[in-house]
Amino acid sequence: MATFSPFDIQARPNRIFAQMLSCVLFAVCIGLYIQTSVKRHHENSEDRVVPNARQLMSGIHSSVLEPAEESDYIAPDNASKWELFRHSMIWTDTVASGRRFLISLVLLVPAVLLALHIGLFPYFGAGFLRFVLFFDKIVALSLLPILFIVFGIDEWSKIALIVIGVAPTMILDVTQMVKAVPREQIVKAFTLDANDFDVAYRVIFRQVLPQVINSLRLNLKPMMLFLFAGEMIASSDGLAYRIAIMRRHMGMDVILPYVLWVAFLLFFIDLALRVLNRRMHPWFQS
Amino acid sequence: MRRFFLAVLFFVLVTAGLSLSQEAYAEVPTFTVGWSVYAGWNPYFYMQKSGILKKWADKYGIVIKVQRFDYAASLDSFVAKNIDACTMTNMEALDMPAAAGVDSTALIVGDYSNGNDAVLVRNGLTFDRLSSQRIMLVQKTVSEYLLERAMVINGQQAQLPKLRLINTSDSDIVPAFMNNASNTTVVTWKPLVSQILADKSVHSIFDSSKIPGEILDLLVVRSEVLNRPDGSGVKFAKAITGAWYETIQNLTGSGATQMQALKISASASGDSVDSYREQLKTTYLFAKPKDAADFATGPLLKQKMELVRQFCFKHGLLGKDIKSVDDVAIAYPDGSVQGRKDRVRLRFNPTYMQAAQQGKL
Repeated sequence: MATFSPFDIQARPNRIFAQMLSCVLFAVCIGLYIQTSVKRHHENSEDRVVPNARQLMSGIHSSVLEPAEESDYIAPDNASKWELFRHSMIWTDTVASGRRFLISLVLLVPAVLLALHIGLFPYFGAGFLRFVLFFDKIVALSLLPILFIVFGIDEWSKIALIVIGVAPTMILDVTQMVKAVPREQIVKAFTLDANDFDVAYRVIFRQVLPQVINSLRLNLKPMMLFLFAGEMIASSDGLAYRIAIMRRHMGMDVILPYVLWVAFLLFFIDLALRVLNRRMHPWFQS
Repeated sequence: MRRFFLAVLFFVLVTAGLSLSQEAYAEVPTFTVGWSVYAGWNPYFYMQKSGILKKWADKYGIVIKVQRFDYAASLDSFVAKNIDACTMTNMEALDMPAAAGVDSTALIVGDYSNGNDAVLVRNGLTFDRLSSQRIMLVQKTVSEYLLERAMVINGQQAQLPKLRLINTSDSDIVPAFMNNASNTTVVTWKPLVSQILADKSVHSIFDSSKIPGEILDLLVVRSEVLNRPDGSGVKFAKAITGAWYETIQNLTGSGATQMQALKISASASGDSVDSYREQLKTTYLFAKPKDAADFATGPLLKQKMELVRQFCFKHGLLGKDIKSVDDVAIAYPDGSVQGRKDRVRLRFNPTYMQAAQQGKL
């Protein structure tokens, strides 16, 4: 049993002990929550600000197995759990938000390719770099009224908000990565009879791709933030829409499961990207 | 050296402790009132600025602070018990604090919306064609209530489930609606209504003057605060009621005092005096305590609240756990209760309005 020595760089904590240590803060958070909840329910047995386990369970039950209020779906008597889930609040909201999220992810691909060109081709750099640098500093949320004019209040204004919010940062990030590739490699590739696009796509792009994926992983949360902002401002479905509606009457019993669900989704996407990165680029050491 | 530090630390702690306990000793009861921007509530800003509030608080030996919030945030704070009293509509009084188990008392019935909330349409659209349109509004608020009442009154009740509502934040609803001519219908409140009506192709087809007394603006206090054993809650109720009616007297009076009251109240929401006057025209102020007390004790209030509570229950605003509309009961001045007697959560208490009427504050 190793001794507990937190300020020893060379320490080798026992594996079980390390595992336990990593759970401590989770336990503290849950403990604090329960304590607050118990205290508040002691004062007011119907408290909704910090719902207790029973309220949370009923909140989860209704979000997972009951259709949203505005949904036309009426469950047949013998509907299976799966059937109920497919028409439930959380599923329809996740599909609506997920669609917006995926479309904006796809729209980031051209942004990355543009960044590759900006970093590598001097004319692209001259044309775009300064503008992107400037545009990156614009607070995208403040453009919303303009987005409404251009894209209407439907899907596209929300997607545009995400892309406008995240793309400039990604472009600048990827441009830096491209510029960091040693010049000698480019020269070497040219001496081996590569043309410009070979260098761009087969030498540079392949090399920076793992870093690009990592950058995307860091940008998942800003993307979700912009999506939430857009959905809270004008929508009729989606995860943030539901949270906004539930806030009107302190439906924390539904909001908390939603928040955890979004956290889980983000974690899952992040994990998927990480695994994909490792599979695709086993040579990459960050 | 270390001992010296310990000694200093000890000294500091002891003096801090002493000064804290002294403060606790001399503490006067302090109350915080939350308000948000709305024609009927802006006078709270004037009440504070003009010193009327301080005058009344001093009279009862207490301290009253008023704090401006966003509407939703003020309700959150009230439910979380961070503030003692808060301005809200009768609908939110029912579905926020009362439904969350916070026993609340309506102290002052300030006004009702008499045209402040409106259903606006483009190009002469009529109610029978609304179900095919997208309707922008802040869902689950008085806007949705107004829309439903409008549909029912115009005989379109059957169309209600078919309405396509787009939940739109009030901070962006004006540009979002105006910038695109394909948006045909919007439900909102003043001053946003006036901004949208600046577009000549838009006009109002229904407003809250057709449902008088249903969208009430109240000052609500937590019942536990009002019933504090040391009597400070009662003092608070008297002081704030007294201050309110003096404020309204100034606001509806004449001459320089009224101008001053209008100016400061208008500045509370960054409106011009003219725009604020226009908003007041569609706000039915219970200017005299007698009017308010009569309304609170009259039979009309019960009818209106019945409509509101049924709406709240139907839309799940009372919470997932509330299985019957009677589980969030309302108590009236005459002792009658809407709902289960053991689950009274919202009380209308005209005592202080009546005291103001009799000049006993």
